[in-house]
Amino acid sequence: MSIDQELTGAEIVLEALKDQEVDTIFGYPGGAVLPIYDALFGQNFLKHVLVRQEAGAVHAAEGYARSSGKVGVLLVTSGPGVTNVVTGLTDALMDSIPIVCFSGQVPSHLIGTDAFQECDTTGITRPCTKHNYLVKDINKLPEIIHEAFEIARSGRPGPVLIDIPKDIQFAKSVYKKKSDVTFKSHRIKSGSKDIDRVFIEQLINHIKKSQKPVFYVGGGCLNSGPQASQELMKLVQLTNIPITTTLHGLGCYPAEDEKSLGMLGMHGTYEANLSMNQCDLMINVGARFDDRVTGRLDAFSPNSVKFHFDIDKSSINKNVKVDYHTNTDITFSLKAINEYIESTGITFDESQYKNWWSQINEWRDKNCLHYEQSDETIKPQHAISRLYQLTNQKDTFVTTEVGQHQMWAAQYYKFAKPNRWITSGGLGTMGFGMPAAIGAQMANPNSLVIDIAGEASFLMNVQEIATAVQYKLPIKIFILNNEYMGMVRQWQELMHGSRYSESYVDALPDFKKLAESFNAVGVRAKNLSELDDAINEMVSVDRPVIADIWIDKKENCFPMIPSGASHSEMLLSKYDKENPENQKKGKVLV
Amino acid sequence: MSNSSVYPTPLNTFKQSKRSVLSVIVDNEPGILARITGLFSGRGYNIEALNVTVVDIKDNLSRITIETLGEERVVNQILAQLEKLVPVHSAINLANLKESYEAEICLVKIQFENEQQNNEILSFADIYRARTVQKRQLLVIYEISGTSERINKFLDDLHTISGIKVEKVRSGPIGLGI
Ligand SMILES: Cc1ncc(C[n+]2csc(CCOP(=O)(O)OP(=O)(O)O)c2C)c(N)n1
Ligand SMILES: [Mg+2]
Repeated sequence: MSIDQELTGAEIVLEALKDQEVDTIFGYPGGAVLPIYDALFGQNFLKHVLVRQEAGAVHAAEGYARSSGKVGVLLVTSGPGVTNVVTGLTDALMDSIPIVCFSGQVPSHLIGTDAFQECDTTGITRPCTKHNYLVKDINKLPEIIHEAFEIARSGRPGPVLIDIPKDIQFAKSVYKKKSDVTFKSHRIKSGSKDIDRVFIEQLINHIKKSQKPVFYVGGGCLNSGPQASQELMKLVQLTNIPITTTLHGLGCYPAEDEKSLGMLGMHGTYEANLSMNQCDLMINVGARFDDRVTGRLDAFSPNSVKFHFDIDKSSINKNVKVDYHTNTDITFSLKAINEYIESTGITFDESQYKNWWSQINEWRDKNCLHYEQSDETIKPQHAISRLYQLTNQKDTFVTTEVGQHQMWAAQYYKFAKPNRWITSGGLGTMGFGMPAAIGAQMANPNSLVIDIAGEASFLMNVQEIATAVQYKLPIKIFILNNEYMGMVRQWQELMHGSRYSESYVDALPDFKKLAESFNAVGVRAKNLSELDDAINEMVSVDRPVIADIWIDKKENCFPMIPSGASHSEMLLSKYDKENPENQKKGKVLV
Repeated sequence: MSNSSVYPTPLNTFKQSKRSVLSVIVDNEPGILARITGLFSGRGYNIEALNVTVVDIKDNLSRITIETLGEERVVNQILAQLEKLVPVHSAINLANLKESYEAEICLVKIQFENEQQNNEILSFADIYRARTVQKRQLLVIYEISGTSERINKFLDDLHTISGIKVEKVRSGPIGLGI
């Protein structure tokens, strides 16, 4: 291609994707993006994955991004194409996932006339993207695309949308390479890499003084990159401080290590939540004091000095006031702390937190994740434990839907590495898991990718099995089938007098036959004796599999901190009763 | 140990609302105003007044001035959220500067019926040094500028005159710091 050769807008999109080293795009065609689909035809650097509904494309892009550390990309048409991705964009914004969404728009001269499949795309997606663009000038297109990618992956990552009217896709201009674009720093807002010495010294001082410290680690640690986890592990080992992670932080630190207290929050462990409640020093690394984690705010960790690492300034002092904070990229801060400890020769006395650890071990002895597995009916906790035991030697990625099964997965599947656990946390989007598994499998063709699902969530994007079959993606959908919207039923049981209003999932399909009708494989386990075989078969078949696991329909997810309660008011089993005062207040919360 | 770590739940945090004037420099591009107002409405913040104009043609920058009500923690959160918007260069609270100056402009149309009202109007206009923009029989339009407080007082005083009709338009405060 000669330097000044003009390309069409559609060709510029492809050229920019190549320049951005994008190898996979998820999408669905329609009138307003046909020029781009035409440019896709016959090229071979970019794999296009045709989903069955645009929601599938956006969640697949999220799964791709989370499992690869790269930006996920999707392409949809105007009007209904783009309104179908609004949920996924919101999901990516809440969970800080870098994706770039290209949408077609009606030709410029028709904008504002209520043309066929016109909608105010930038208006609709403004609150659910990190940034969005309506391209009005073909000459700006190359720069806009490169800036979009840079914004999506910089600082706190997130979704960016580029709306391209059809006439712009046909118009011609000269392509501008990524390397020829200079970004304006105020627009990119990449995180600072400058080490905050005062913060580090204060932190070390407080660690030395503290009797009861705890690390509270969230998804920001993942987003900072794999090195952040390594630095974190080193720091935890050096200091002997216990560590708990949020739902998104799972995998930042090996779950089976003795320093790990497991997940905290609404369905977190007893030891994690009580440590947070009683600590005198809280070191928050990339978590955002979400309400699922803090419980009742006025009772949240009342006696601790709080340190907060977060690249996003707006996360500081938003829900909980902290004593010290830094906005520097976590990898850089943690590395600097480890270097500081090494260079100053500071040592940490094993006995310093002896009392704290023995207190924690007492809490651990409660064995809050204990369950009774009978001979017959499969307990969901047991199903996940067996799934873990039978797959943890493999190179495994786990995605989930939303509900009880998601929480059981978080509790019983023990992640050892970052980026192996892909779940919808902030938005809690049912239907996320299967398309996310498709995305993860595209990024990791030789790995085992399992979607731990509930039957209700699975039905929300059930059409995407066809995508998995078409592209020979051997994803495994492991359905914990309780015939209920279990999490809804659990809340109704605890807070609404067991009035199970509309939470029974009636008229379920036969999931085995459903799989077969899509040319996927169906397996089933009706009772305990069939469980291991079902899992083994699911894992060994090199095709998409739906495993229908019949579990105890009435099982609830514990421990639980009911909404409006504090960390010290945890319910450990169905025999624990909630404080009625809290119940009144909690009922109005989500 | 920080006792500042104990927080009331958000349900009852709207107590010590304070007036703040925020000054935001942005790239003048389509949608920027919608981004800002959307941020306020979406997150439940107040906009009491809003002013937007291009201030730098060469670099295509606008300055947006927003008067808001909220306790300090909320205002700081607003600033942090504003700074996250891609086209935003900077967002500051004028109250946090060592020195800052505010001004607002207001046009007031007054319709009156008799000479006594006219005299009262004239005397207030004189005290506040309001500039006459237009004068007709039984109608006058004044322009008054200064701090919002000064304009409030002028308008309050006018309202003490019975039987006149007052119509006004205000720019909302703008401000600069040193
Ligand atoms: C799109 C969407 N709609 C509604 C909800 C509210 N919700 C949360 S969990 C849940 C039930 C999920 O049922 P299922 O997938 O069977 O999982 P289970 O809890 O039974 O494991 C519902 C309806 C949601 N999270 N997402
Ligand atoms: Mg269910």
